[in-house]
Amino acid sequence: MKCPRETRENAGWLLDYTSGRLDAEAAAALEKHMEDCPACREFVSGQQAVWKALDAWEASPVSMDFDRRLHQRIEQHVSWWERLTRPLRPLVPHHAMPMAAAAGVLILAGVLLERPAVTPTAPRQESAKVEALRPDQVEHALDDMEMLGQFNRLVRPDTAEPKM
Amino acid sequence: MDERVKNGMGSLAATLDLDAELMLRVKEGDGASFGLLLEKHRSPVVHFLYRMVQNHAVAEELAQEVFLRVYRSRESYEPTAKFTTWLFRIATHLALNSLRDGKNERLQERLDDASSDMPVRQVSDTRPSVEQRLVHQARLDEVRRAVAMLPEKQRAAVLMHKYEEMEYSQIAKVLNCSESAVKSLLFRAYETLRARLAHMA
Repeated sequence: MKCPRETRENAGWLLDYTSGRLDAEAAAALEKHMEDCPACREFVSGQQAVWKALDAWEASPVSMDFDRRLHQRIEQHVSWWERLTRPLRPLVPHHAMPMAAAAGVLILAGVLLERPAVTPTAPRQESAKVEALRPDQVEHALDDMEMLGQFNRLVRPDTAEPKM
Repeated sequence: MDERVKNGMGSLAATLDLDAELMLRVKEGDGASFGLLLEKHRSPVVHFLYRMVQNHAVAEELAQEVFLRVYRSRESYEPTAKFTTWLFRIATHLALNSLRDGKNERLQERLDDASSDMPVRQVSDTRPSVEQRLVHQARLDEVRRAVAMLPEKQRAAVLMHKYEEMEYSQIAKVLNCSESAVKSLLFRAYETLRARLAHMA
């Protein structure tokens, strides 16, 4: 076996051997090599000391309120759209949300566009027409009634006044 | 091996990554999956950041930012790599920025002050003697100083290799460099640490 210390690429074997990540076959070959290589033995011995020293360094435990603080920060970044659609989340799949939103917009637009046609403006115009009768029209109507009365008197002389 | 085959295998591996599947559920609006990811990766991320910046308060602040970024990126998330690669890439980026900005210096804990006023998740039951505690503390300080003196990228590589047990290829992806560059970083870093810590054996 060529000494792994000769290239940095192969020096990884020594690191892997120390950390127990080298496969059994390669580890056996390296151990055989180390029997005749004091430099590799020294490397591995020193690396094992480093490994043990690093093992002693335990990180501080995570604070109990870590999750609560994180969720607070997440809430601060939630958009108005997400707040609006949140109650619908269990009902509408996420990928269908844009489609549902588009459908909602279409329905809203339809309602807004439809509204003027539904408004019953015609009767108002008719009542306005009645109010807007010109005096000559009234005069004509009265004339017509008088003519009808005269016609009745001619046809049925016994009737004094026409039946309205 | 054909590049397309390699890429195909990479995406297959990413597809089979359970964390990536959870993240895809987060993308679909499943908050519970985000909770599972947080539960699984909270401690490794905080511990990695703590060892990087060596300040508990800053490490937790950075970890909050890491998970916040994960949450905010959920809409655009694509499982093109292992979830942990993406997670530690964010964490390393934030840690390196923090170290360069010197933000942690304002809150720098004294190296001999390992205690914290904040309530913690685990409570140690071991009650060593005063002498044992002092010896342990002195050794710990030495380790922390030795790691703190490593160049930032070497430090990140060592922490991912030693504590997260990452493969060279994954560390390479996190640090955005080649696998041989990672081996070189680790070789030099451990060489320095051996010189400083070998006497502790």
